[in-house]
Amino acid sequence: MSLLNLLHFLRRSLQRAGSTLTDIAGLDRHFAPALAVHGPSVIPQPAQDGGSAPSFLDSIFWMAVPKKRRTVEINRTRRRDPTKGMEVKTNIESCQECGNLKQKFTLCGYCYAKVRRETGEIRKQIFAMEGKPLDTPAVDTVVLYEGETPGEADKDKRIVERQRKRPSWFNLS
Amino acid sequence: MRLTLQALISHGRVARKMGLGPESRINMLRNILTGLVRHERIETTRARADEVQFYADKLIDYAKRGDTDARAMQMANFWLTEKDLLPKLFKVLAPRFENQVKGYTRLARLPNRENLDRAEMAVLEYKGNPFPPLYPVKRENELTLINQLLKGYREERAQLTSPQ
Repeated sequence: MSLLNLLHFLRRSLQRAGSTLTDIAGLDRHFAPALAVHGPSVIPQPAQDGGSAPSFLDSIFWMAVPKKRRTVEINRTRRRDPTKGMEVKTNIESCQECGNLKQKFTLCGYCYAKVRRETGEIRKQIFAMEGKPLDTPAVDTVVLYEGETPGEADKDKRIVERQRKRPSWFNLS
Repeated sequence: MRLTLQALISHGRVARKMGLGPESRINMLRNILTGLVRHERIETTRARADEVQFYADKLIDYAKRGDTDARAMQMANFWLTEKDLLPKLFKVLAPRFENQVKGYTRLARLPNRENLDRAEMAVLEYKGNPFPPLYPVKRENELTLINQLLKGYREERAQLTSPQ
Protein backbone atom coordinates (compact mmCIF):
# COMPACT_ATOMS: atom_id res chain seq x y z
CA MET A 1 0.00 0.00 0.00
CA SER A 2 1.61 3.29 -0.97
CA LEU A 3 2.16 6.04 1.53
CA LEU A 4 -0.24 8.34 -0.28
CA ASN A 5 -2.98 5.71 -0.08
CA LEU A 6 -2.22 5.24 3.59
CA LEU A 7 -2.60 8.94 4.20
CA HIS A 8 -5.91 9.06 2.31
CA PHE A 9 -7.20 6.06 4.25
CA LEU A 10 -6.27 7.64 7.56
CA ARG A 11 -7.89 10.92 6.64
CA ARG A 12 -11.09 9.19 5.60
CA SER A 13 -11.24 7.03 8.72
CA LEU A 14 -10.65 10.02 10.96
CA GLN A 15 -13.35 11.99 9.23
CA ARG A 16 -15.71 9.08 9.70
CA ALA A 17 -14.94 9.06 13.40
CA GLY A 18 -16.29 12.59 13.56
CA SER A 19 -13.35 14.46 15.05
CA THR A 20 -11.22 16.91 13.18
CA LEU A 21 -7.54 16.44 12.52
CA THR A 22 -6.64 19.40 14.72
CA ASP A 23 -8.38 17.78 17.73
CA ILE A 24 -6.30 14.64 17.43
CA ALA A 25 -3.16 16.62 16.84
CA GLY A 26 -3.59 18.88 19.84
CA LEU A 27 -5.49 17.09 22.63
CA ASP A 28 -5.79 13.42 23.37
CA ARG A 29 -9.54 13.03 24.15
CA HIS A 30 -9.34 9.26 23.68
CA PHE A 31 -8.09 7.33 26.67
CA ALA A 32 -6.98 4.34 24.66
CA PRO A 33 -3.19 3.91 24.48
CA ALA A 34 -1.72 5.88 21.65
CA LEU A 35 0.35 4.16 19.04
CA ALA A 36 3.97 5.15 19.49
CA VAL A 37 5.24 6.30 16.16
CA HIS A 38 8.42 7.97 15.21
CA GLY A 39 7.34 11.19 13.61
CA PRO A 40 5.87 14.56 14.32
CA SER A 41 2.84 14.88 16.63
CA VAL A 42 0.97 16.60 13.84
CA ILE A 43 -0.28 14.17 11.26
CA PRO A 44 0.49 15.90 8.01
CA GLN A 45 -2.53 16.98 6.04
CA PRO A 46 -2.04 16.18 2.41
CA ALA A 47 -2.44 19.07 -0.04
CA GLN A 48 -6.01 19.92 -1.13
CA ASP A 49 -5.30 19.33 -4.82
CA GLY A 50 -4.48 15.76 -3.72
CA GLY A 51 -2.68 14.77 -6.89
CA SER A 52 0.89 15.55 -5.97
CA ALA A 53 3.30 12.68 -5.37
CA PRO A 54 4.44 12.21 -1.73
CA SER A 55 7.57 14.19 -1.12
CA PHE A 56 10.78 12.61 0.15
CA LEU A 57 10.16 13.81 3.70
CA ASP A 58 6.75 12.07 3.91
CA SER A 59 8.24 8.64 3.41
CA ILE A 60 10.56 8.69 6.41
CA PHE A 61 7.73 8.42 8.94
CA TRP A 62 6.54 5.13 10.47
CA MET A 63 9.73 3.10 9.84
CA ALA A 64 11.58 0.75 12.24
CA VAL A 65 14.73 2.29 13.64
CA PRO A 66 17.12 1.29 16.46
CA LYS A 67 16.37 3.09 19.69
CA LYS A 68 19.82 2.87 21.23
CA ARG A 69 23.38 2.39 20.08
CA ARG A 70 24.52 -1.21 20.39
CA THR A 71 27.44 -1.25 22.76
CA VAL A 72 30.72 -2.80 21.75
CA GLU A 73 30.28 -5.53 24.38
CA ILE A 74 26.94 -6.60 22.87
CA ASN A 75 28.43 -6.44 19.40
CA ARG A 76 31.42 -8.52 20.48
CA THR A 77 29.28 -11.24 22.01
CA ARG A 78 27.26 -11.48 18.83
CA ARG A 79 30.25 -11.49 16.48
CA ARG A 80 32.33 -13.92 18.54
CA ASP A 81 29.54 -16.37 19.24
CA PRO A 82 31.00 -19.89 18.54
CA THR A 83 28.08 -20.92 16.32
CA LYS A 84 29.06 -18.18 13.88
CA GLY A 85 32.57 -19.43 13.24
CA MET A 86 33.72 -21.85 10.56
CA GLU A 87 33.18 -25.57 11.12
CA VAL A 88 36.35 -27.43 11.98
CA LYS A 89 37.17 -30.07 9.37
CA THR A 90 38.10 -33.46 10.79
CA ASN A 91 38.51 -35.19 7.42
CA ILE A 92 42.05 -34.00 6.68
CA GLU A 93 44.83 -36.58 6.59
CA SER A 94 48.20 -36.91 4.91
CA CYS A 95 48.81 -38.78 1.67
CA GLN A 96 50.64 -42.11 2.08
CA GLU A 97 52.75 -41.58 -1.01
CA CYS A 98 53.94 -37.97 -0.87
CA GLY A 99 53.01 -36.79 2.62
CA ASN A 100 51.03 -33.74 1.51
CA LEU A 101 47.71 -33.01 3.13
CA LYS A 102 44.62 -34.34 1.46
CA GLN A 103 40.94 -34.83 2.29
CA LYS A 104 39.62 -38.28 3.09
CA PHE A 105 38.02 -40.17 0.20
CA THR A 106 39.61 -37.68 -2.24
CA LEU A 107 42.69 -38.06 -4.39
CA CYS A 108 45.87 -36.30 -3.27
CA GLY A 109 46.29 -33.04 -5.23
CA TYR A 110 50.04 -33.41 -5.64
CA CYS A 111 49.96 -37.01 -6.80
CA TYR A 112 47.06 -36.34 -9.15
CA ALA A 113 48.87 -33.32 -10.64
CA LYS A 114 51.74 -35.66 -11.61
CA VAL A 115 49.33 -38.15 -13.18
CA ARG A 116 47.47 -35.35 -14.98
CA ARG A 117 50.65 -33.92 -16.42
CA GLU A 118 51.79 -37.26 -17.73
CA THR A 119 48.32 -37.97 -19.17
CA GLY A 120 48.52 -34.62 -20.98
CA GLU A 121 51.89 -35.52 -22.47
CA ILE A 122 50.57 -38.90 -23.64
CA ARG A 123 47.56 -37.20 -25.23
CA LYS A 124 49.82 -34.72 -27.05
CA GLN A 125 51.74 -37.66 -28.47
CA ILE A 126 48.50 -39.36 -29.52
CA PHE A 127 47.33 -36.19 -31.26
CA ALA A 128 50.65 -35.91 -33.08
CA MET A 129 50.32 -39.55 -34.20
CA GLU A 130 46.75 -39.11 -35.40
CA GLY A 131 47.52 -35.99 -37.38
CA LYS A 132 44.08 -34.43 -37.71
CA PRO A 133 41.32 -34.20 -35.09
CA LEU A 134 38.26 -36.50 -35.02
CA ASP A 135 40.30 -39.36 -36.40
CA THR A 136 40.34 -42.03 -33.68
CA PRO A 137 41.40 -45.48 -34.88
CA ALA A 138 39.41 -48.47 -33.68
CA VAL A 139 42.33 -50.04 -31.79
CA ASP A 140 43.49 -50.10 -28.18
CA THR A 141 46.43 -48.00 -27.05
CA VAL A 142 49.46 -48.92 -24.97
CA VAL A 143 52.11 -46.52 -23.68
CA LEU A 144 55.75 -47.58 -23.77
CA TYR A 145 58.66 -45.70 -22.27
CA GLU A 146 62.34 -45.67 -23.22
CA GLY A 147 63.88 -49.08 -23.62
CA GLU A 148 60.63 -51.06 -23.51
CA THR A 149 59.45 -53.45 -26.17
CA PRO A 150 55.84 -54.41 -26.83
CA GLY A 151 54.85 -57.61 -25.08
CA GLU A 152 52.58 -60.50 -26.00
CA ALA A 153 49.37 -58.71 -25.02
CA ASP A 154 50.30 -55.57 -26.95
CA LYS A 155 50.53 -57.03 -30.40
CA ASP A 156 47.39 -55.53 -31.98
CA LYS A 157 47.51 -52.29 -30.08
CA ARG A 158 48.62 -48.88 -31.21
CA ILE A 159 51.92 -48.03 -29.48
CA VAL A 160 52.49 -44.56 -28.05
CA GLU A 161 56.16 -43.94 -27.32
CA ARG A 162 57.19 -41.54 -24.60
CA GLN A 163 60.76 -40.24 -24.67
CA ARG A 164 61.53 -40.65 -21.02
CA LYS A 165 62.19 -43.24 -18.36
CA ARG A 166 59.12 -44.95 -16.90
CA PRO A 167 57.97 -43.07 -13.76
CA SER A 168 57.98 -45.12 -10.58
CA TRP A 169 54.28 -44.54 -9.95
CA PHE A 170 53.21 -45.86 -13.37
CA ASN A 171 53.51 -49.60 -13.03
CA LEU A 172 53.22 -52.09 -15.82
CA SER A 173 50.28 -53.87 -14.19
CA MET B 1 -6.08 -32.41 5.08
CA ARG B 2 -3.39 -31.30 2.58
CA LEU B 3 -2.96 -27.57 2.65
CA THR B 4 -0.20 -27.23 0.06
CA LEU B 5 0.29 -28.62 -3.44
CA GLN B 6 2.46 -31.72 -3.71
CA ALA B 7 4.17 -30.09 -6.69
CA LEU B 8 5.55 -27.25 -4.56
CA ILE B 9 7.26 -29.57 -2.07
CA SER B 10 10.33 -31.54 -3.12
CA HIS B 11 10.70 -33.98 -0.22
CA GLY B 12 12.39 -37.17 -1.34
CA ARG B 13 12.99 -36.09 -4.94
CA VAL B 14 16.41 -37.47 -5.84
CA ALA B 15 16.70 -36.70 -9.54
CA ARG B 16 19.14 -33.89 -10.28
CA LYS B 17 18.25 -30.85 -12.37
CA MET B 18 21.04 -29.66 -14.68
CA GLY B 19 21.25 -26.97 -17.32
CA LEU B 20 18.18 -25.25 -18.68
CA GLY B 21 15.77 -28.19 -18.48
CA PRO B 22 15.55 -31.97 -19.06
CA GLU B 23 16.49 -31.71 -22.73
CA SER B 24 19.41 -29.45 -21.95
CA ARG B 25 20.54 -31.89 -19.27
CA ILE B 26 20.54 -34.79 -21.72
CA ASN B 27 22.45 -32.73 -24.29
CA MET B 28 25.04 -31.76 -21.70
CA LEU B 29 25.47 -35.37 -20.56
CA ARG B 30 25.75 -36.45 -24.18
CA ASN B 31 28.63 -34.06 -24.75
CA ILE B 32 30.40 -35.23 -21.61
CA LEU B 33 29.87 -38.88 -22.54
CA THR B 34 31.31 -38.28 -26.03
CA GLY B 35 34.36 -36.72 -24.40
CA LEU B 36 34.68 -39.70 -22.06
CA VAL B 37 34.55 -42.21 -24.92
CA ARG B 38 37.14 -40.24 -26.85
CA HIS B 39 39.61 -39.56 -24.05
CA GLU B 40 38.76 -42.42 -21.62
CA ARG B 41 39.44 -40.16 -18.66
CA ILE B 42 37.81 -36.79 -17.97
CA GLU B 43 37.60 -34.26 -15.17
CA THR B 44 34.28 -32.57 -14.46
CA THR B 45 32.19 -31.49 -11.52
CA ARG B 46 31.08 -34.25 -9.16
CA ALA B 47 27.40 -33.97 -9.98
CA ARG B 48 27.99 -34.23 -13.74
CA ALA B 49 30.41 -37.13 -13.35
CA ASP B 50 27.93 -38.96 -11.15
CA GLU B 51 25.16 -38.50 -13.73
CA VAL B 52 27.33 -39.51 -16.67
CA GLN B 53 28.57 -42.67 -14.92
CA PHE B 54 25.16 -44.31 -15.23
CA TYR B 55 24.87 -43.44 -18.92
CA ALA B 56 28.47 -44.53 -19.60
CA ASP B 57 27.81 -47.98 -18.12
CA LYS B 58 24.52 -48.33 -19.97
CA LEU B 59 26.20 -47.37 -23.25
CA ILE B 60 28.71 -50.18 -22.79
CA ASP B 61 25.85 -52.59 -22.11
CA TYR B 62 24.23 -51.57 -25.38
CA ALA B 63 27.57 -51.78 -27.22
CA LYS B 64 28.04 -55.34 -25.97
CA ARG B 65 25.02 -56.39 -28.04
CA GLY B 66 27.18 -55.84 -31.11
CA ASP B 67 27.01 -53.34 -33.95
CA THR B 68 24.60 -55.48 -35.99
CA ASP B 69 21.89 -54.85 -33.37
CA ALA B 70 19.67 -52.01 -34.63
CA ARG B 71 18.73 -50.69 -31.20
CA ALA B 72 22.36 -50.65 -30.04
CA MET B 73 23.45 -48.73 -33.12
CA GLN B 74 20.57 -46.27 -32.65
CA MET B 75 21.57 -45.65 -29.02
CA ALA B 76 25.24 -45.25 -29.85
CA ASN B 77 24.38 -42.93 -32.72
CA PHE B 78 22.32 -40.74 -30.42
CA TRP B 79 24.77 -40.64 -27.54
CA LEU B 80 28.01 -40.16 -29.47
CA THR B 81 27.95 -36.84 -31.26
CA GLU B 82 31.34 -37.42 -32.92
CA LYS B 83 30.76 -40.28 -35.32
CA ASP B 84 34.38 -41.44 -35.56
CA LEU B 85 33.93 -42.86 -32.05
CA LEU B 86 31.30 -45.43 -33.11
CA PRO B 87 33.91 -47.95 -34.36
CA LYS B 88 35.98 -47.30 -31.24
CA LEU B 89 33.02 -48.02 -28.98
CA PHE B 90 32.02 -51.29 -30.66
CA LYS B 91 35.50 -52.63 -31.47
CA VAL B 92 37.60 -51.42 -28.53
CA LEU B 93 35.47 -50.68 -25.47
CA ALA B 94 32.89 -53.45 -25.78
CA PRO B 95 35.45 -56.29 -26.16
CA ARG B 96 37.51 -54.84 -23.32
CA PHE B 97 34.62 -55.37 -20.89
CA GLU B 98 33.17 -58.62 -22.22
CA ASN B 99 34.13 -60.55 -19.09
CA GLN B 100 32.71 -57.94 -16.71
CA VAL B 101 29.06 -57.62 -15.80
CA LYS B 102 29.00 -54.08 -14.45
CA GLY B 103 31.29 -51.38 -13.13
CA TYR B 104 33.09 -50.35 -16.28
CA THR B 105 33.80 -46.86 -14.98
CA ARG B 106 35.64 -45.50 -12.01
CA LEU B 107 34.76 -42.23 -10.30
CA ALA B 108 37.32 -40.59 -8.01
CA ARG B 109 36.96 -37.33 -6.13
CA LEU B 110 39.41 -34.53 -6.68
CA PRO B 111 40.28 -31.46 -4.60
CA ASN B 112 38.08 -28.45 -5.36
CA ARG B 113 38.77 -26.45 -8.50
CA GLU B 114 41.19 -23.53 -8.08
CA ASN B 115 38.78 -20.94 -9.53
CA LEU B 116 36.64 -18.50 -7.62
CA ASP B 117 33.75 -20.97 -7.67
CA ARG B 118 35.78 -23.71 -5.83
CA ALA B 119 33.60 -26.32 -7.51
CA GLU B 120 33.79 -29.93 -6.32
CA MET B 121 35.56 -31.91 -9.02
CA ALA B 122 35.78 -35.56 -9.91
CA VAL B 123 37.62 -37.64 -12.49
CA LEU B 124 35.68 -40.30 -14.40
CA GLU B 125 37.45 -42.96 -16.42
CA TYR B 126 36.80 -46.21 -18.17
CA LYS B 127 38.74 -49.05 -16.52
CA GLY B 128 41.59 -50.47 -18.56
CA ASN B 129 42.63 -47.15 -20.08
CA PRO B 130 46.29 -46.73 -21.13
CA PHE B 131 46.98 -43.79 -18.81
CA PRO B 132 48.80 -43.85 -15.45
CA PRO B 133 46.58 -45.14 -12.63
CA LEU B 134 44.76 -42.73 -10.35
CA TYR B 135 45.28 -44.83 -7.25
CA PRO B 136 48.96 -45.76 -6.87
CA VAL B 137 49.63 -49.44 -6.49
CA LYS B 138 50.91 -50.21 -3.00
CA ARG B 139 54.41 -51.58 -3.02
CA GLU B 140 56.00 -53.03 0.09
CA ASN B 141 59.46 -51.63 0.69
CA GLU B 142 61.68 -54.36 2.10
CA LEU B 143 64.34 -51.91 3.20
CA THR B 144 62.30 -50.21 5.95
CA LEU B 145 63.36 -50.92 9.53
CA ILE B 146 60.16 -52.70 10.53
CA ASN B 147 60.23 -54.93 7.46
CA GLN B 148 63.88 -55.83 8.08
CA LEU B 149 63.14 -56.69 11.71
CA LEU B 150 60.14 -58.79 10.67
CA LYS B 151 62.28 -60.54 8.09
CA GLY B 152 64.90 -61.36 10.74
CA TYR B 153 62.18 -62.60 13.08
CA ARG B 154 60.73 -64.89 10.45
CA GLU B 155 64.18 -66.31 9.62
CA GLU B 156 64.87 -67.01 13.29
CA ARG B 157 61.51 -68.74 13.69
CA ALA B 158 62.26 -70.86 10.64
CA GLN B 159 65.69 -71.78 12.10
CA LEU B 160 64.14 -72.73 15.42
CA THR B 161 61.39 -74.87 13.93
CA SER B 162 63.43 -76.59 11.17
CA PRO B 163 65.99 -78.46 13.40
CA GLN B 164 63.04 -79.73 15.51
